[in-house]
Amino acid sequence: MTIQSKPILSVRDLEVTFGRGKKAVQAVAGISFDIYPGETLGLVGESGCGKSTTGRAIMQIEKPSGGHITLGDIDLISSAPKEARRLRTRLQMIFQDPISSLNPRRKVRDIVAEPLDYWKVVVGDERAAKVDDLLRKVGIDPTVFGHRYARQFSGGQCQRISIARALAMNPEVLICDEVVSALDVSVQAQILNLLEDLKAEYGLSLLFIAHDLAVVKNIADRVAVMYLGKIVEIGGSDNLYEAPHHPYTDLLLSAVVDIDPSKKHERKVLQGEPPSPSNPPSGCRFRTRCPFASELCASTEPELAEIAPGRFVACHFPLNFSK
Amino acid sequence: MNTPLLVVSDLHTTFETPRGLLPAVRGVSFSVAENQTVGIVGESGSGKTVLARTIMGLQPIRGVKLSGSVLLNGSEIVNRPHDELRHLWGSQVAMIFQDPMTSLNPVRKVGDQIAESLQVGIGLKRKEARARALELLVQVGIPSPEDRFHAYPSHLSGGMRQRVVIASALSCNPKLVLADEPTTGLDVTIQAQILDLLDKMKAERKMSTILVTHDLGVVATRTDHIYVMYAGRIVESLPTADLHSHHRHPYTAALLNSTPRIENKSHTRLTAIAGSPPNLLKPLTGCAFAARCSYASDVCRTQTPELRSDGGSSEFACFNPVGVTV
Repeated sequence: MTIQSKPILSVRDLEVTFGRGKKAVQAVAGISFDIYPGETLGLVGESGCGKSTTGRAIMQIEKPSGGHITLGDIDLISSAPKEARRLRTRLQMIFQDPISSLNPRRKVRDIVAEPLDYWKVVVGDERAAKVDDLLRKVGIDPTVFGHRYARQFSGGQCQRISIARALAMNPEVLICDEVVSALDVSVQAQILNLLEDLKAEYGLSLLFIAHDLAVVKNIADRVAVMYLGKIVEIGGSDNLYEAPHHPYTDLLLSAVVDIDPSKKHERKVLQGEPPSPSNPPSGCRFRTRCPFASELCASTEPELAEIAPGRFVACHFPLNFSK
Repeated sequence: MNTPLLVVSDLHTTFETPRGLLPAVRGVSFSVAENQTVGIVGESGSGKTVLARTIMGLQPIRGVKLSGSVLLNGSEIVNRPHDELRHLWGSQVAMIFQDPMTSLNPVRKVGDQIAESLQVGIGLKRKEARARALELLVQVGIPSPEDRFHAYPSHLSGGMRQRVVIASALSCNPKLVLADEPTTGLDVTIQAQILDLLDKMKAERKMSTILVTHDLGVVATRTDHIYVMYAGRIVESLPTADLHSHHRHPYTAALLNSTPRIENKSHTRLTAIAGSPPNLLKPLTGCAFAARCSYASDVCRTQTPELRSDGGSSEFACFNPVGVTV
């Protein structure tokens, strides 16, 4: 992205802690990032790294234990509950399991109209026209399918309906949490293309949370990589995938399998599994699995620093980088 | 070549449902040689899991009609009662399922579960079985195996549970292992570890493996030969090395084109496959893929294409194949 305008969504030092006392688990341990208007930020990492919790904290589904979330000029966390509710219409979220996120006993038109009804935005004929328009936008013919129940649809169609519902309030930011991971590859391509089209049409900003690195590269302008509650690297998609600076990003990318085996890259295996977030390692959180870890990594936690324009990395010994 | 370890011929699996007959596997033939790894790839509903379960002999007797033949090392599997198949399970053929949480007993210690399969499968005494189970936990790379022996499945991570399932499946030295989506639901890093483990075990034990998955990347890197399934049939059979550049079936091409790739630049437009797979409860005429295929012609809608050879080791079921015959 070349346009460095004012971010639409800013997250600063966000922390989310579950439980308290000795059992406390810090799922998100102080992360900061910006999303600019019309931009898609991909958020990747292994399960348990806190990527979904980050999305849920922005939506205020989980209460952050620290930090700030700013939408435009307004701090979401310090806003009064009533005001926060109203602000939240500018943010919408789509979830992983499209079937369980829709009420199977409700008709498609009513599902999509629900946010409109709650905020009493449009009524009567105008409401019906708006709903039909939204359904058409996501590729569902309202005259044929509008009166069917959610349970009569396939996973891909349910995800389309979820997208229509999320768009009903004209949000500025759409948070997509693993929205294609339950879908077959042919349907996945349909939904990814649909999101790209809608993003362009509505000027949406997306936070696209997923574990599939190829999917994220396809849709994102910039990518943030999370490990154990921290962001370890942020950069432009092509740039970051081409030359990762953080050893974790490098190992994660080398685990991806491609459909063309002749493109077989050097395989580096990431040993072991992530440590428990209830008892993270001292210093750099990745050091217990990092092939380059030294004493410095155990004693001092690396800060997320901009080492090249637009490239942020939290590592004492970044790869593919000479000062 | 020797006689293949597994020969599947004209296999049909049909479910009797309240809404009529559902042919899930509609005439599948293929074989697996000794020490070969075969991939079966397809989308949900293509019949790949039903095929794997039929090869295992796991289909219930009631409500399922089977025809055709599955010969494993000369023994027929199809339509044999479970009592007779029991002595083949474990020692001849074993299966690894997708969800390790549901294929392990949640209220028994993992070590005991592996030991049990050794006691039942090859008749080891309890003490020997437990010692052997511990050895297996070491072989599948479980850290601190002595402690984990006494762990319950819920105490282990997804990757560790899948390692336990592999240990249990391999406990009685099967000649053929069927792995049904063994890494779906695992992180890429753990997926790589589990697939490496399967490769290592296969090499050490000279097993044959059938890898059933929806993930083209997994079959492209881990198999010798690939069968592509659509609507209950094999539509293309080809050596893994030919998948990317020498495929002939439009469905294979469409699958490859709709897969996002790490090699591509960001925002590369994907070619989605329009529509959805056919409803197999309704009778099908012609090629099952015709309605979604951009190469379909009149003959595709009236006649069913059979698998035909391209002269080499590939076969495809299509009247209007893509690519050129080399």
